[in-house]
Amino acid sequence: MSFARLGLWLLRRERASGEWRVLLLALIIGVGSVSTTGFLGDRLKRAMSEQGASFLGADLLVTSPRPIEDWPDLAVTKSAGTASPLARSQALEFPSMLAKGDAFQLATLRAVDAAYPLRGSVRIADRPFATGTARPAQPPPGMIYVAPDLLPLLSAKMGDSVQIGEARFTIAGIVAEEPGQLGGVFGLAPRVFMRADDVAKTRVLQPGSRVTYLYQFAGDPAQLAAFGAALKPRLDSTQRLIGSREGVETLRGAFANADRYIQLTALISLLLSVAAIAIAAHRHALRHYDQAALLRCFGATTAQLRTLYAVQLLTLGLLGSLIGVAIGALMQQALALLVLPDAVTRLPSLGLAPVGAAVFSGLLALAGASLPALMRLVRVPPLRVLRRDLPPLPVAAWLSAAISGSALLLLIAWYAGNARLIGVFVGALVGLIVVLALLARLALAAGRGVQKMSHGPVRFGLAQLLRHRFDSTLQLGAFTLALFLVALLALVRSDLIAGWRQQLPPDAPNYFLINIAPAQQQSVATYLSQHHLKASALYPMVRGRLTTKNDVPIASTLPPDARDANSLRRELNLTWTATLPANNAVLAGHWHGDRRVAEISVESGMAERLHLALGDRLGFRIGDQTLAARITSIRSVKWDSMQPNFFVIFAPGQLDALPASSIASLYVPPDAASVLPSFIKMFPGITVLALDRLIANLEAVFAQIIGAIQLLLGFLLAAGMAVVIATLLASLDARQQEAVLLRTLGAQRAYLAKSLWSEFLALGLLAGLLASACAEIAMALIAQRLFELPLRLHPWLWLALPVAGALLVGLSGWLTTRHITRVPPMQSIRALN
Amino acid sequence: MTPPDSAQFPDTVVLARDLSQRVPTAGGMLDILSEVGLAVKAGETLAITGASGSGKSTLLGLLAGLDHPSAGEIFLLGERLDALDEDARARLRAGRIGFVFQSFQLLPALTALENVLLPLELAGRPDARDRAAHWLDRVGLATRATHTPRQLSGGEQQRIAIARAFATDPEIVFADEPTGNLDADTGARIIELLFDLNASAHTTLILVTHDDALAARCQRRLHLVAGRAREEAVA
Repeated sequence: MSFARLGLWLLRRERASGEWRVLLLALIIGVGSVSTTGFLGDRLKRAMSEQGASFLGADLLVTSPRPIEDWPDLAVTKSAGTASPLARSQALEFPSMLAKGDAFQLATLRAVDAAYPLRGSVRIADRPFATGTARPAQPPPGMIYVAPDLLPLLSAKMGDSVQIGEARFTIAGIVAEEPGQLGGVFGLAPRVFMRADDVAKTRVLQPGSRVTYLYQFAGDPAQLAAFGAALKPRLDSTQRLIGSREGVETLRGAFANADRYIQLTALISLLLSVAAIAIAAHRHALRHYDQAALLRCFGATTAQLRTLYAVQLLTLGLLGSLIGVAIGALMQQALALLVLPDAVTRLPSLGLAPVGAAVFSGLLALAGASLPALMRLVRVPPLRVLRRDLPPLPVAAWLSAAISGSALLLLIAWYAGNARLIGVFVGALVGLIVVLALLARLALAAGRGVQKMSHGPVRFGLAQLLRHRFDSTLQLGAFTLALFLVALLALVRSDLIAGWRQQLPPDAPNYFLINIAPAQQQSVATYLSQHHLKASALYPMVRGRLTTKNDVPIASTLPPDARDANSLRRELNLTWTATLPANNAVLAGHWHGDRRVAEISVESGMAERLHLALGDRLGFRIGDQTLAARITSIRSVKWDSMQPNFFVIFAPGQLDALPASSIASLYVPPDAASVLPSFIKMFPGITVLALDRLIANLEAVFAQIIGAIQLLLGFLLAAGMAVVIATLLASLDARQQEAVLLRTLGAQRAYLAKSLWSEFLALGLLAGLLASACAEIAMALIAQRLFELPLRLHPWLWLALPVAGALLVGLSGWLTTRHITRVPPMQSIRALN
Repeated sequence: MTPPDSAQFPDTVVLARDLSQRVPTAGGMLDILSEVGLAVKAGETLAITGASGSGKSTLLGLLAGLDHPSAGEIFLLGERLDALDEDARARLRAGRIGFVFQSFQLLPALTALENVLLPLELAGRPDARDRAAHWLDRVGLATRATHTPRQLSGGEQQRIAIARAFATDPEIVFADEPTGNLDADTGARIIELLFDLNASAHTTLILVTHDDALAARCQRRLHLVAGRAREEAVA
């Protein structure tokens, strides 16, 4: 028989052993965790790339905040050789209000021509959530197609008539699917398709309105490439040219970042499982020294033993990983339903790539955790068969550390992807371990006081906890971590948004009015004062792009990683005012006041990101004009004040001549909400943004994401339980010996049971208390440092976490050790011999 | 007495010359064995006796190639052991040497039959399972084949260990205090079995014991006193 087969044979005979079970369990939990996120991430990535051109709706897309008149005459209009001209389609996208009766809702309108979409399809249905049929997105004149979530918001149904700006439209279809859409995660402004030639009669668009022009092209690849090359130099940084591949890549890039953080969350469970695996593997090796010595006695060489144990480990590794992957495949569906409820059916089916990745992670984790123990096992001297006390030859500590360390580092590197994230993750992990170990030690020291005051089985149980100090620290640390993270997420979910809402003054603005035309300003002000509504000042808004600093292109003045700043990529909302807005404070320089000079005030965060200082001269491009102004003040802005806030404020007199619309914020008390429908009817072109609804939407999105992470933390709790079980198993022999001694001395089973329960309950309670303390501190830091919220304590937490901890640890502890109270002493003595 | 070279005596299966074993202890170096010499021919039975701590088990371990001596030479089955590394010594033992231990050393997860099967499988015997069943029958435990060691008494466990030691048709069986963990009656039955099997298989038997009755069954007796050996006539 080969040693590989012998290894499998022995493994089969030992399959019921506690260590193998724990090892397998921990591996299943760890791999289950990483494969859950792996599967879902892979499905989303494939959904993006498989859709290819249909994702963009075209082969080539150009977006611009302004119309582009001047196209390369290369291939668009005339055919090159035998190739037919490029197909093109043009669309406008802008936010606007839809109103029906007293209901109104902000929507994203896309005004399309007959050719849209050039690639992929738009499916239009005649009732919500039906599959619909593929059709051009352009509705018949006077009609619109709307996203299904818009209907309940407007209390509307198919065939109803709704108001957009100054025109009325009939709802002629429901958008079931459109290019580039995976699911309705962000339902802030539902989609509406209308005809491009119907836009004018709404009178919604006016100079200064926020519009995106979408130019789409499709056709022969060579022609497209030539066209793209000719077009590219003509575009500025606010205009983007996206090929179907780049479109997917951009999206995938953004998605990859989010995916990476989620994967790292999952990795924590795997790493905690590694601790459980290492303990189980160590105990397995200890219990197999005699077996290894006997096999050596029978003539096995070290290489043969290595084969035997490696085959066993590999088998367990593959088995555990594959079961973990199967669990991951089930859990990812639950996660998908939680995060993308609308899109699940449209995602591609499970891929094979994550299976390989998860199995590899599992084997790597297993190798890192158990190779040091295995190496000792094959170095058992055969003489041990005669002298049982003979330990295996030592394995150099540095070698064990190097093997485990490099396996763990490789795992982290694989999931983190870049050096910075690896550094941050490893740093955070080491910091966390140190803090948790210290806390656990402190808690145990406090437990000593309690132990002295107690008596009987409780005293004995607590003494166990203190005696196995290393084990207790590990169990306490692992469980505290799991409970802490679960609690922290719950607090973030319940506190932050609620706390932030509570902190707002009761009359804080709850609506924004956007797109107020200069001619409307007076009548809007009159209307609001007639209805006793409190509005902020009206700020004129001009959109422009920051291009130069001290007459040099601004990107060239920045280090490479700062060049991609948002404020350089998009057009900024520029305003002018003589009065420093409320909730703004000048940090440096002097406020320009009503001096009509070329001066600007810049928000401090933007100044920092773009390396701007007082005295710098910034150049802006607004439409086809350029103008420059010197920075004379740097301001702090309270962004959560619900007021219109601006990065850049000009002194009066600089922008007046440019086309501008105004913005204001407004407080509408609940009893006056009925004013709004009439306001919208009176000023149909003005966009009314309900902050309540916006916040509710954000809350819903937030809750979905937190729900998903909490699902992953379920794995973390399970891994924590595996650590508890593994450490208990490791001390099982010693415990059994003590139990035998106690029972021989006359202790009853109830005494032993009570001492075990008091040990585990104390451990769970301590973990719960520590986790409560950590969660309170972390939450206080987050709330105060990041959100400037007042300190709040959570008494329920101090009850819930210890109870949860006591239950979970108590249960896993009792299940692991209960049989030592049941076995008759004689049988135990024989088993130990 | 310094025994002659092994080449001159081809039927010598174990030959030791000037064996010494010294180990470091807290109080300095300790001599466990000093200049022990020994030659055992094929088919002989030898008892190594002595008080506790006299070095009996150490000598057994050295002769079986489980440990290295501090000084001296050992030839086992014609191979000079100090020329072989740990793995080469293991290969030498495979299938040719059997062991019986005081604490039985059965693998708890395996059944009685499987425990006997183990060295046969390791030695790659084609008829391993039949042979294991045969040897289990020889020690009278055919009916307990599927029982695990936990379900067997000490005497039964040692009988399985004996079946395991003889199953590969070894040239030498080393036994370390084979009756040490058994009561007198059971011990006597185990001795009977061990010598019966040894006689019928023509195996060389080298055993360590402080049981005079057991030592008396052997053809030769080597008595150790404080690490020094003296061959005594068998009474």
